[in-house]
Amino acid sequence: MIKIEKVTKLYGQTVAVRDISFEVAEGEILGFLGPNGAGKTTTMRVITGYFPPTDGNVFVAGHSVLDEPLEVKRQIGYVPENPAMYHDMRTIDYLKFIGAVKGVTRTSLKERLNKTIELCALKSVVNKRVGELSRGFKQRVALGQALINDPPVLILDEPTSGLDPKQIFEIRQLIKSMAGERTIVLSTHILPEVSMTCSKVVIINEGEIVAVDTTENLGKSFVRTHQVELVVKGPSKEIKNNLKKIDGIGKVDNVGERYTVEMEKDKDLRSKIAKQVVQNGFELLELKSRSMSLEDVFIKLVTEEEEGDRA
Amino acid sequence: MRNIAEIYKREIRFYFATPIAYVVIIIFTIIFGFFFYRSLVYYSELSYQLMQNAYYAQRIDLIMGVFSPVFSNNAIIFLMVIPPISMRLIAEEKKSGTIELLFTFPIKDIHIVLGKWLAASTIIVLMLVLTLPAPFMAFKFAGAAEWGPVLAGYLGMLLMGLSFLSLGILISALSENQIVSIIVSYGVLLAFWFLGWIIDPGSGKTIGKVLGELSIIGHLSNFVKGMIDTKDIIYFVLFIFMSLFLTLRVLESKRWRG
Repeated sequence: MIKIEKVTKLYGQTVAVRDISFEVAEGEILGFLGPNGAGKTTTMRVITGYFPPTDGNVFVAGHSVLDEPLEVKRQIGYVPENPAMYHDMRTIDYLKFIGAVKGVTRTSLKERLNKTIELCALKSVVNKRVGELSRGFKQRVALGQALINDPPVLILDEPTSGLDPKQIFEIRQLIKSMAGERTIVLSTHILPEVSMTCSKVVIINEGEIVAVDTTENLGKSFVRTHQVELVVKGPSKEIKNNLKKIDGIGKVDNVGERYTVEMEKDKDLRSKIAKQVVQNGFELLELKSRSMSLEDVFIKLVTEEEEGDRA
Repeated sequence: MRNIAEIYKREIRFYFATPIAYVVIIIFTIIFGFFFYRSLVYYSELSYQLMQNAYYAQRIDLIMGVFSPVFSNNAIIFLMVIPPISMRLIAEEKKSGTIELLFTFPIKDIHIVLGKWLAASTIIVLMLVLTLPAPFMAFKFAGAAEWGPVLAGYLGMLLMGLSFLSLGILISALSENQIVSIIVSYGVLLAFWFLGWIIDPGSGKTIGKVLGELSIIGHLSNFVKGMIDTKDIIYFVLFIFMSLFLTLRVLESKRWRG
């Protein structure tokens, strides 16, 4: 559905993204993962036709973004980061306006409006000015704006940033509910978000693609070392020494009574750790496995690559 | 066409949902009304005195006596009230980020610019329409007056207003800040105004003539006297066309640069 071919984008002399290529199949939800400034927004803007790539090309449903920009734009619903909107307009007027500008015919506009309002749960705010809405509702209006012309492709730039946990949950549910119907590309810097909503992941760093994989594989290959967090009462030196005695344990760090223990891949040593601590007479207050944050994955990924280069 | 109409409707709604349109129109009509009133009173006093003399009585002219000075003054009012209409048109979309939406919608830049231009033009037309009671009133007193020269004056006013507006949109496209946009508009419009005064066009120097022809005010003087010269019409139409063309180029280059 979407094919990104060797896209490079420069801002003056600064390289925003370099030689990026990947594809998104129809009905797929692709997570576009990377730290701030990695080039996520730039790539999405190239896909949406906001600006042309310096080099390379993007095809959406077979149309080239360089040669048929209007046709590409017709296929896409786009939600920018921190969605900008006309704050002086009422929700209903805003959606009507966007629908009409996007070319929804007069006869189907009413039906599209009703469907969008229902899907994005905007019924309670249709008569309110967009500028007066809460952050969560604004995000939903922005989604509504993207969906109003029933586009087969959705491009969402950090759709959950700045929302509270309940709103984040709702937006994710909404995105997931569209799986299969629409091809979706969503960018984020939150790793769990990808595993929760996406079927495929592209990781980007400093303008270059670091990895393209399915969500499952990503989890397997990146989480080399499981981390366990412990809260133990007792002298830290002794506790650390004790923990290190267990077979298969890597680094042990602590901040006060909180310990981070690294285990080798494919080995679940949680029960052994618990036993070791308790049997040696320390008080075990808490034990939980820690999922890796994106920062961890990145540090891991980048350092591993550098080591690989050296070897 | 529908795209242009939708952009147009939104801009019109914005102008009238905010105080902008009302403030501009009210200020404009009050100042216009004041100039018209002063001219008319002065003219009627003058003509009363001139009536004593048969030779001068024949030369009393409502156009030269009232409308020509009023229309000339009006150019200054337009210069003041049109930049407030044009300053936000694109600068605001850039500042709020809504330009990103418009650029990703299946519409062409020219539709966006034309929709906005037409909406602001409507405000200018409305301002001029609201001054129409003035000539009607004047003609009540002067039965022999002709409409032709007055309408020529109005055409000149309209073309000049649209030129100011088009330049204003171009400057709005160049800036993200509305205050910068309005101040630069004032500066550039005044510069176009004074262009003819730098070197006396009558001095025989070519550069003086060229600058004189480029100056906005020089092309208004025929209209306010009731004359329609193709040269003046072409000047204003080209002025509008060039400004809008450059606006589109500015938007396009903004895209390429990101």
